[in-house]
Amino acid sequence: MVSGLLLTPILQHIVLAYTALFVSIALGIPLAILALYSRPLQKIVMTLANLMQAVPTLAVVAIVVPLIGIGFWPAIVAIILRALLPIIKNTWIGLSSVDPVLIASAEGIGLSEWEIIRYVRLPNAYPAIFAGVKFAAILANSVAILTAMIGSGGLGSLVFEGLAGVNMMKMLSGALPAIGIALFLDASFSWMERRLLPRSGQSGLE
Amino acid sequence: MTLKRPFDRIETIDIHGVRKRFGETVAVDGISLDIRGGELLILIGGSGSGKTTTLRMINRLIDPDEGTIAINGIDTQTIDGIVLRKNIGYVIQQIGLFPHMTIRENIGLLPTIEGWSREEIDSRVAELLILVHLPPDQFMDRYPKELSGGQQQRVGLARALVMNPPLLLMDEPFGALDPLLRRQLQDEFIGIKEDIGKTIVFVTHDINEAFRLGDRIAIMHEGQIVQLGTPRDLILNPADKMVSDLVGSDRLFGHIASLTVSDMMVPASPIISGEMEVQSAIGVMVQSGSKIAVVRNRASSFSVLLLSTLLQMRDEVKTVLEATDPPFFLSMDASLLSALEEMKAASVSLGLVMKDGEPAGLLLPDDLITRLV
Ligand SMILES: Nc1ncnc2c1ncn2[C@@H]1O[C@H](COP(=O)(O)OP(=O)(O)OP(=O)(O)O)[C@@H](O)[C@H]1O
Ligand SMILES: [Mg+2]
Repeated sequence: MVSGLLLTPILQHIVLAYTALFVSIALGIPLAILALYSRPLQKIVMTLANLMQAVPTLAVVAIVVPLIGIGFWPAIVAIILRALLPIIKNTWIGLSSVDPVLIASAEGIGLSEWEIIRYVRLPNAYPAIFAGVKFAAILANSVAILTAMIGSGGLGSLVFEGLAGVNMMKMLSGALPAIGIALFLDASFSWMERRLLPRSGQSGLE
Repeated sequence: MTLKRPFDRIETIDIHGVRKRFGETVAVDGISLDIRGGELLILIGGSGSGKTTTLRMINRLIDPDEGTIAINGIDTQTIDGIVLRKNIGYVIQQIGLFPHMTIRENIGLLPTIEGWSREEIDSRVAELLILVHLPPDQFMDRYPKELSGGQQQRVGLARALVMNPPLLLMDEPFGALDPLLRRQLQDEFIGIKEDIGKTIVFVTHDINEAFRLGDRIAIMHEGQIVQLGTPRDLILNPADKMVSDLVGSDRLFGHIASLTVSDMMVPASPIISGEMEVQSAIGVMVQSGSKIAVVRNRASSFSVLLLSTLLQMRDEVKTVLEATDPPFFLSMDASLLSALEEMKAASVSLGLVMKDGEPAGLLLPDDLITRLV
């Protein structure tokens, strides 16, 4: 009976969270690669990443309003601000923590900087990048609830209206799908990880 | 200069007045060195003597502060470092196989980047695995973790050879292996070296390895080359105490002093007639696996014949006699040391040992030194 009513907020929520997540990935991974080759950029990115970790999510959402107002796009910006940094940080850590012997050997056989990223650094960083993206996805999902406060629409609206009107049904009809989506996101990323990550021979099997 | 392949073969590598410092440390202190195409040159010396730095300046992983390095007369500074390195094989002690790639992918990485087809890559990888004594069907799809240290080092060599580079740089490739395995890989490597016919610069700590593998040996100390020469030069004429300690001249001399020519000669066979047809002489020598034959002339005098000379001159001469060299005679019970000195003074590299007017054996100083160490 509620399913028809729910469809629009669910879709809104998904569009909100996923758009922000994909923009974060598209910005975050290249930024992390650039940070590898620019000391100043690396400093800025890491400082910001640590700072943002400490700022409460609510504060991030709140700070967007005086800067760019309310509605869908400000909400997207708020989610990106939260989701971007775990991606950058994890990607950077993954890329920069590759065994120096592998980098030396790649340089020695004549790989260019880009080929080293493509064939050595990125594959070795995949697990860390995936962990970052997964974490960012969960963050995006929960921030997308909060952004209802600044007019993004979506499942958060149901939650907040339910809370305000002490309407348990309404609140749950917002919260439960959000939880479902979170679980689905997590499961699908785990599945993708298993599919994409090459067997590295570390399993000890076979 | 952005040629795909800056050179197909090595004529010379001229290292001239090269200096490199890292902060306060002078790693390489003005070395000059001419490496000849096709030779295996050893760089040996104590820890921190500048061997790795020298090697890495050849493929421009490091650029010298002063001096020049030219390959076939072309200053390497005019060649893009990446292009240069793709054309020079490089093997290191830590091997550095990529753990996330199979053996096939590790060896096939450069061909993949160069856009070879899957079939071309597979057949090249298989060919190289066979060369380094690893059955392709067993090893192609394994990961480096699933290989022993010696097997990984073989794959490292195969990877370095994949683009068929005319020059190979090897930095203590067998340094991490236990002595028995090291010896085995050296033996295999000697065979591979013959097959591939490349110019090789090889860094080692191990003087026995240097003697076994090297055509010439450069001894480094504190960033300088103390002496450069064949194993024989270094043992017989060490430049200073450091060199004689390193090559163990005393130990060897002590040993050599007690030997006679007969102790170290090799059998003189085959013995053929001076009137033998060139073709059949080649046949006899190839069949007996001998690069040197003793030739008996009519007047029961003797001369020596090198297979290489015979092959070169086979169209110009009728009988083998015309291709022979006059022998340098030695007697069986002469002291080995004085025989070697006489041979050195006469600059001959082959002695014919006689007993009762008949050839009894051959003395080959170069081969002898590798047998002694
Ligand atoms: N990248 C670097 N930065 C600073 N110092 C360096 C660097 N590379 C080499 N050195 C120094 O230069 C000197 C020569 O080093 P090099 O690696 O060439 O020696 P090596 O003969 O290869 O020694 P080993 O046998 O221990 O490998 C050493 O004192 C070393 O500490
Ligand atoms: Mg070294």
